[in-house]
Amino acid sequence: MTPLARGTAAVGAALLAAGIALALAAPWLAPGDPMNMVGRPMLPPLADGRFPLGTDQLGRDVLAGLVHGARVSLAVGAAAAAAAIGVGILVGTVAGFLGGLVDDALMRLTEAAQTIPTFLLALALVSVLGATAGNVVVAIALSSWPPTARLVRAEVLRVRTLDYVDAARLAGRAPLAIAFLEVLPGALAPVVALVGITVGEAILVESALAFLGLGDPNLQSWGTMVANGRANLRVMPSLVVLPGVAIAAAVLAVSLTGDALAARLGGRR
Amino acid sequence: MHSTSARVFGGLRALLLGAAAMGAGVAAATEAVAQEVQRGGRLTVAADTEPRNINPAMVASNGVFFVSSKVVEPLAEMDYEAGLRGVLAVGWEGSEDGRTITFRLREGVAWSDGTPFTSADVAFSAMEVWKPLQNLGRAIFADLEAVETPDDHTAVFRFTRPTPLQLIENALPAVSAVLPRHLYQGTDIAQNPLNNAPVGTGPFLFAEHRPGEYFRLTRNPGYWGEGQPYLDEIVYRVLPDAASKAAALETGDIQLTAFSAVPLTDLARLDAIDGISVIPGGYEGITYHITLEINHRRAELANPLVRRALAHAIDRNFIVDVVFMGYAAASTGPVPATAADFYTADVPAHAFDPAEAERLLDEAGYPRGADGTRFSLRLRPAPWFQMTRATGDYVRQALQQVGIAVELVTADSGAHSVAVYTDHDFDLAIGSPVWRNDPAISTTILFQGGLPAGVPFSNQYGYDDPEMNALIAAAAAELDRDRRVALYHDFQRKAATDLPIIHLVDFTFITVARDEVKGVASNPRWATSSWADTWVAR
Amino acid sequence: MPWRFLGRRLLQAVPVLAIVAVAVFLLLELAEGDAVDAYLAGTGAGDAGLAAALREEYGLTDSLPVRFLTYAVRLATLDLGHSFAFSRPVAGVIGERLPVTLLLMGSAVMLSGALGVLLGGLAAWRAGRAADLSITVAALVLNAMPGFWLGLLGLILFAVKLRWLPLGGIGTIGADLPPLAAAVDLARHLVLPVATLALTYLALYVRLMRAAMLDAAGSGWVLAARARGLPEARVLLRHMARPALLPVVTMIGLQAGGMLGGSVVIESVFAIPGLGRLAFEAVSQRDLPLLAGILLAGTVTVVAVNIIVDLLYRRLDPRVGDAAAREGGR
Repeated sequence: MTPLARGTAAVGAALLAAGIALALAAPWLAPGDPMNMVGRPMLPPLADGRFPLGTDQLGRDVLAGLVHGARVSLAVGAAAAAAAIGVGILVGTVAGFLGGLVDDALMRLTEAAQTIPTFLLALALVSVLGATAGNVVVAIALSSWPPTARLVRAEVLRVRTLDYVDAARLAGRAPLAIAFLEVLPGALAPVVALVGITVGEAILVESALAFLGLGDPNLQSWGTMVANGRANLRVMPSLVVLPGVAIAAAVLAVSLTGDALAARLGGRR
Repeated sequence: MHSTSARVFGGLRALLLGAAAMGAGVAAATEAVAQEVQRGGRLTVAADTEPRNINPAMVASNGVFFVSSKVVEPLAEMDYEAGLRGVLAVGWEGSEDGRTITFRLREGVAWSDGTPFTSADVAFSAMEVWKPLQNLGRAIFADLEAVETPDDHTAVFRFTRPTPLQLIENALPAVSAVLPRHLYQGTDIAQNPLNNAPVGTGPFLFAEHRPGEYFRLTRNPGYWGEGQPYLDEIVYRVLPDAASKAAALETGDIQLTAFSAVPLTDLARLDAIDGISVIPGGYEGITYHITLEINHRRAELANPLVRRALAHAIDRNFIVDVVFMGYAAASTGPVPATAADFYTADVPAHAFDPAEAERLLDEAGYPRGADGTRFSLRLRPAPWFQMTRATGDYVRQALQQVGIAVELVTADSGAHSVAVYTDHDFDLAIGSPVWRNDPAISTTILFQGGLPAGVPFSNQYGYDDPEMNALIAAAAAELDRDRRVALYHDFQRKAATDLPIIHLVDFTFITVARDEVKGVASNPRWATSSWADTWVAR
Repeated sequence: MPWRFLGRRLLQAVPVLAIVAVAVFLLLELAEGDAVDAYLAGTGAGDAGLAAALREEYGLTDSLPVRFLTYAVRLATLDLGHSFAFSRPVAGVIGERLPVTLLLMGSAVMLSGALGVLLGGLAAWRAGRAADLSITVAALVLNAMPGFWLGLLGLILFAVKLRWLPLGGIGTIGADLPPLAAAVDLARHLVLPVATLALTYLALYVRLMRAAMLDAAGSGWVLAARARGLPEARVLLRHMARPALLPVVTMIGLQAGGMLGGSVVIESVFAIPGLGRLAFEAVSQRDLPLLAGILLAGTVTVVAVNIIVDLLYRRLDPRVGDAAAREGGR
């Protein structure tokens, strides 16, 4: 690793650790529902000790929103990425291993999913299914699995001809067992490189959906905070700037950490 | 005849005096008149929606009127002085038996293509458009049998049943936009391309609509109003985002925003800027309510004690102060206090009292469980306004404080509408019905039982009370004005006793304009009126 | 022009489009409420009779299979149908909005790609030094920022505070400008949205270019070129930068869909009447034909961009070009 890579990896890991710590400690740092209107509306930051980062237009504590928002953004990001990568692995492995018609059909599907503009699809899905955190996860997952599927399929195609797979086949094991137990593990390493990117993308998509008013109304996410603060950008910029910085920091943290992880596993650069 | 309507609208004038106390609207209007009118120029205003059909005779909604009321005129318009002022009608008279109303129409008026405007246009609009096709007219003109045209400037409306003149008068500004018969007759009216490019008798001509960008209207040189209109052009610039509208006002890209289009939290800052004023007047004729809609199909909510508990649990003044930044009033029932001709304060009141709410909930048999929760409800705040959503956020918190868990469910307009008014898939909802100056136009429908599912903005709450139904029916057919008003007072008391739905606050919108725009808020429906007397100083 | 290649790619696009069309239909079937509900909600009143009459008129009362068949036959005959929300043919509505989005997207891709190549090249050339560090970090930070947020801040700074640039929209309204001035006007309106979109995608190209250049630096070609004593500038441009362009070009194709989606939010921030905002309207109006048309138009756009990218790739990479020539048989 170059000093630069080591430096960015350290920054990423530190940011990510801080974010996760905030998210975990939210109930102690800011007890109660962050959606509650607890103070005078539109208190600027640092004006009142009880609300160090001020309050929004309905008197909600901005600090509470930020720490609880960390839970929502990171949880939605991680869940969506896990689901997307899960679907991607499933499709990629089955397509690559079985080949033939199944492969053709799955690859057409992948191509279609990759060709539809991702965010348009997520937007349509959430407005149709309803604005809940679960549906946001589904929408992001459904629109971001293709890269993983393609990568896994390519790796599976490479690995399936290797000796140890042939050995398993000769030993008479079931094809799907071979696919998932023998072939897949060998093909997984490059997928790690996609994890950071996918989680970061998921956090950004969640915030953009919330910004367009399609976030879960029962949860205070960073995107929702930017959306609500947008109307007050001129009066109190901190309502937009703070959650925006939080989103950027979280995305930066996961992508840097993902890169570092991939570099270590891949042993390159 | 005109004087009759002026007398009748004495109540409305009282309303306007109250409104004048509210802010500078009327004062600004008067001041504008005092200055020398300057002709010409363009007024650029912000628009946030682009209705798909801007034919006001078919779609009587404020979003449509905002653009098309400058092109297509009604028979009469609201007025601060007279209550109601003739536009295409110059006078009207009801018969003793309540079965006919005779309108005398303005002479020397022409459609923008030069064809003269006659009673045939009014008869056509009433019978072929308002009655069968218009969202409000279908109910109001349901008993309209025929419109006779003894001469070119007289139209006689015949009803099968006695119809209160008061109701028709109150409805005229919103429901009586007149279409050119010669351009609509024999076509499929609902699909006529003129629905997207209206032709009327108004002070402005529809010039073009660039979807996503703007609507443009130009001066009608043949307008009947002496020397009017003053403006050469009105441009409605589509700016979907509230903050961009405020910024555009500052930079001068637009000169006026109506319908509280800029965030309320930004008003103080904008008002402090030289050359920009916040004008709260000009909307007295289009008051909105914020309501808590209740689904009586839920056993808990069918219990009157629980509904009373809800009313005590919610602090209306909090909604006024925080959600509306003070630009609203706590509501006592389905008629706003500003509607002096129909309003009564003599109704059961439900002051904010969480302890009383908890007591009532205990009494109703819903004690707090081990986790502090009595029961859970799903609340759907309507997506129409930022304020309906914010009220939903507050009501969720307020009810949780008395032990009712609330889950918010949001959806876009279509899905919200079908969930509440067709599928009844909600426990509570936050709605924003419009008060249209007479309870029979769009208010009693929120309380009347036995309506089929699928009627938006009506009683889809599962509330069906014989006494209430009888009151509504009696008032709708009562010809005597005083007895009719008395019936509506009973209606308000009944509504506040049963609480089938809970009216939380009443609000009117706010205009923010650059100071060069004159003649703003010059009537109680200003944003949805003709703007013939609006001008821009240079 | 490799016509056969083009034909094959277009043919490949057919099943993709078919899958998208079916998915769109199913998606809107899941939606609560239809076009009539959305319409009545917008008018503020209505009754059951009116709703029933409208449903009849729009053909919403047919059974599910019949509606699907009507929809499928229409699409197969390249008829995008009639938009409820605009009371006009869908193709016309989309035709009005697509060019704006293509202009926004195209300009952003060009800016992003060009800047990425330039800065990525610079970073590789100065690998490990201050310039490399600042370019890499800046690109990463920009990449992590939500586009709408960056756009909002840019809008306040450049359009409201400094007043250098217009607030939004795509042209000064009613200004009857001669062609040249109109083009300048349009360009001024596009500066902020294009810059926002381009900056958020910049990091990808910077990283790719930098990595590819460094890869090439270690390759036999470059070592051989240096050994032959070729000038450093020539080595840098000819033997390092040119091969490094290949992954960048590929990435443009892969990112086309993402950028089109990203423009939805950017269009909403800057009040640009493009395809993205139209999609938002179509969804909220439950306008099935329009939404289907938009998603299909978006998909066709992505397919088209990818075909162009492939053609470009063949020009840049002599190996692919030769193979194509052989395959083309001429």
